[in-house]
Amino acid sequence: MNTEPFASVFARAIGADAGEAVEKAADGDFQDIFPLMPVGQRVDMGTAPDGTPLIDPRIFFSAEFRRNPWPYYRLMRDHHPVYFNQLNNTYYVTRYDDMTECYFDDIGFNTIPKGSSNGVLGNVTHELSGVEHRRRRNLFGQHLVGKALENRVPAIERLAQEMIDDWSHVDAPWCITNGNVRTIELGQAFADAFPVRVVCDVLGFPKEARGNFVYWYNSIMSGLGASETHKQGMEARQHLEDYVESIVEERRARPTFLYDNAGRNIGKDIISKLCESQVDGDYLSTEEITALIALVVAGGGETTRGTLMNMWYSLLQKPDQAEAALADEDMWDAVFHETLRHSNPIGGQPRHATFDVQIRGTTVPAGSLIEMVNFSGSHDERIFHDADNFNIFRPDLYTGKLLRSGYRKEGKCSHMAFGVGPHMCPGAWISHQEAVIGSKILSRTMKNPRINRDRMPKDIDGVSLAPIGINKTRELWLDYDLA
Amino acid sequence: MSTEAKQAAKPPAYGAGAPDKDAFTGRNGVPLYTRNGNQNDYRTYEVYQRERVKEATDKIRPIQLISPEFIKNPYPVLEILRENYPFYRDWLGNSFWVTRYDDVTSIFTDDANFETRPKRWFYGIEDLGRDLGEAVPLLTAQATRIDANVERIAREIVGGFKDNGGTDLAIEFAARLPLELLACVLDLPKDDFPKFVDRYWRMQRGAMWEPKSRQAGLGAIQELVEYFRPMLAARRANPGDDLVSAVTMLDPDGGPATAEDLVVTLLEQDHETLHGALANMWFQLLTHQDQLDLVKRERRMVKFAYLETLRHSAPVLTANRFARHEVERFGRLIPIGALLHCSAAAANRDPRQYKDPDRFIVGRKDLCQREPRGQYRADGLPAGVALGLGKPSKHPAVPEDRPRSLYAITRDTATTASNVLLDMAPDIRLKPGATPALRSLRLGEMHTCWNLPVVF
Repeated sequence: MNTEPFASVFARAIGADAGEAVEKAADGDFQDIFPLMPVGQRVDMGTAPDGTPLIDPRIFFSAEFRRNPWPYYRLMRDHHPVYFNQLNNTYYVTRYDDMTECYFDDIGFNTIPKGSSNGVLGNVTHELSGVEHRRRRNLFGQHLVGKALENRVPAIERLAQEMIDDWSHVDAPWCITNGNVRTIELGQAFADAFPVRVVCDVLGFPKEARGNFVYWYNSIMSGLGASETHKQGMEARQHLEDYVESIVEERRARPTFLYDNAGRNIGKDIISKLCESQVDGDYLSTEEITALIALVVAGGGETTRGTLMNMWYSLLQKPDQAEAALADEDMWDAVFHETLRHSNPIGGQPRHATFDVQIRGTTVPAGSLIEMVNFSGSHDERIFHDADNFNIFRPDLYTGKLLRSGYRKEGKCSHMAFGVGPHMCPGAWISHQEAVIGSKILSRTMKNPRINRDRMPKDIDGVSLAPIGINKTRELWLDYDLA
Repeated sequence: MSTEAKQAAKPPAYGAGAPDKDAFTGRNGVPLYTRNGNQNDYRTYEVYQRERVKEATDKIRPIQLISPEFIKNPYPVLEILRENYPFYRDWLGNSFWVTRYDDVTSIFTDDANFETRPKRWFYGIEDLGRDLGEAVPLLTAQATRIDANVERIAREIVGGFKDNGGTDLAIEFAARLPLELLACVLDLPKDDFPKFVDRYWRMQRGAMWEPKSRQAGLGAIQELVEYFRPMLAARRANPGDDLVSAVTMLDPDGGPATAEDLVVTLLEQDHETLHGALANMWFQLLTHQDQLDLVKRERRMVKFAYLETLRHSAPVLTANRFARHEVERFGRLIPIGALLHCSAAAANRDPRQYKDPDRFIVGRKDLCQREPRGQYRADGLPAGVALGLGKPSKHPAVPEDRPRSLYAITRDTATTASNVLLDMAPDIRLKPGATPALRSLRLGEMHTCWNLPVVF
């Protein structure tokens, strides 16, 4: 006869300590469950009886994951290539080959309904699918590629040069000159504002709108997460819409034109073009035009800013690679693509299963949200050798002209930062131009650039520089010689 | 895709089989995935209507819905949702929250548009066995044995701790009674009880997001299957009036019932309502002396204390429903497959239904005092939403051809057991200095009292 007291039987049955960890966990950080690990190592989250390592879905909310995600993505790729996160009600696809498959199947893996923009961007193009998506995307996409883009390169160069020239006569905390050495914070000095100015220029907004532009941009970006700043984002979106409405009314009557550096008329600007565009026999509504513009505003700023910052941060931590890139301007393409592979500013793209679908043995019911984890795809060691390492000389990364129709060429693979297939980032080509032209001009200005380690945030060991993780480099202090 | 497939009207209910399958070979020859559904469900236009400024949801951050504070006391956050965003899109959890009484009950009674996914689905073991829980012989066996034994078991349990001068009522009474009853319904040998409790709870707790518990639960399910297999064979030869024997005598579609079917049936049963109701009811009574005195004075009030507990401190806070297809509700188009968290906790404290909803009032006049039929209201009054008990039964209150509803059985069990406790320990009171509280052990689990020290 078993005489064990019921209380102890019951305590064992429910695992009395199992709930404690939840209670102690700090809001959104979970540092006591998931302590910060040295980069490249991971917290042990338990093992199934068959030896498969397990994933605790709270890890995705943790500070540890944000700064050191790569071992966890590797765990997912190796053991849970289609992982169901029950806390987020989301499936994650993490292998390069699987996500490229899904990206090209825009019927089986549709982009609606997503609502990820939470009303802040409006009904944006990337939440449409099929023919509806194609028609609208091409309306503004055509201005950001090919000849239209080439026409804008001189303007991009001019904007970058103007900003850098300003450093010499600026008095700001982010620009400190000490003898022959100048210290700048790259974000405030250049990267924060440069992409926004380019976008403003490309859209054909008057210069006076620049101030508003920063407000729209910051508010819309912070409103995306649907938290305290949600309302601020919505208000900014409404303000943008009101402004666009006034511009649209004007341009419907009097279109404005773009001019090249020689003063030749090279066609109507984007808004004037959109004003006269028709879809299904309907002129685009102001709301639709605003949604297109809001997308360019949001998509064209933070991503390029993060790319510029990550490029310089990653590159300057590798002296031999920095030397090569600073010696040969043609290397900046490789720096750009390797940065986007190694630490791209956009984590992934959501898709919805149109049908019940079975991928790698996991059944995903129709309507489920499936996150294509671009971060993970770009670090898939099945595709990229030594994938967690930043290396601009890597032979397996495709760094040529951006591919929309494929992702493999010349035996190399492209990174996943822009996605592939019908929804590939329409701003890819212009952001490439911005980042590379900006970096070239920066490298001409800054002699012997190096990271000012004293001013930079450190990793948990207190010595090495903080890893980028899935964040973007927030601030970057650089020293360079003036002569 | 075949023509018939294109003509197939609607995708089937979850797990109801496949109208067609398309297999896809990847362009790299790498992943092979299969589609299963209707091409007509593909759409190209947007579903989410853009919110305007006045619809901003800035009074809440989505992380609050999984925060430690929410796990302890979800009511403040639920109130924000109910009073500001009655149909809240939880951007972080990829789901919607339904929080008003009328909205929650309208979803629960709408089987045509919203489906429940069984615990097996969360475990990923849909093919393990059949849920026979709706079979009348099983319900009869369960009801008969509970009614015949509840008083005796309650007396044994209370007798076991009464003379110690005190006990932890949450564990020794509220947690223990439902398990002893279940063991009795299954007619398990006494020696097996500790092992059964262990496996049963591991199985129930594993159907959640926590990966280690899930592994433990999968192990427990296997152990239970192995445990019941010989018992099933023995009872088939020599049946009694218990649930296991009733399972052996069933003749369901697809062959005789197996040990797997029995375990699946146990898994899909509610395991929280009786436990949580007893613990929460005694927590409320012991911390509200006037209400306890009232119940002692008028024993008919025990039933109302139980009903008020299920309203005021629902043990099961939330039930999930998934949209079977696109459907417009609450001014929005809900996409196919969308997850709806229907919050009983929020609905039960909806001031549109109950006056002073945050107060625990035994015998309150605006709460339905009897079992409603077929809907969540009777006598013009809303009943509390108790998720573990299922929808209100559409059968007569005292049916001739089937046992009483789970609502009635659970209510009577809780009432009988509480009366036994009051009879045997009439001077029961909270241990001086104790500060009991309600909480969930983990996000999404039962919200109840886990430590309720009392003295006699």
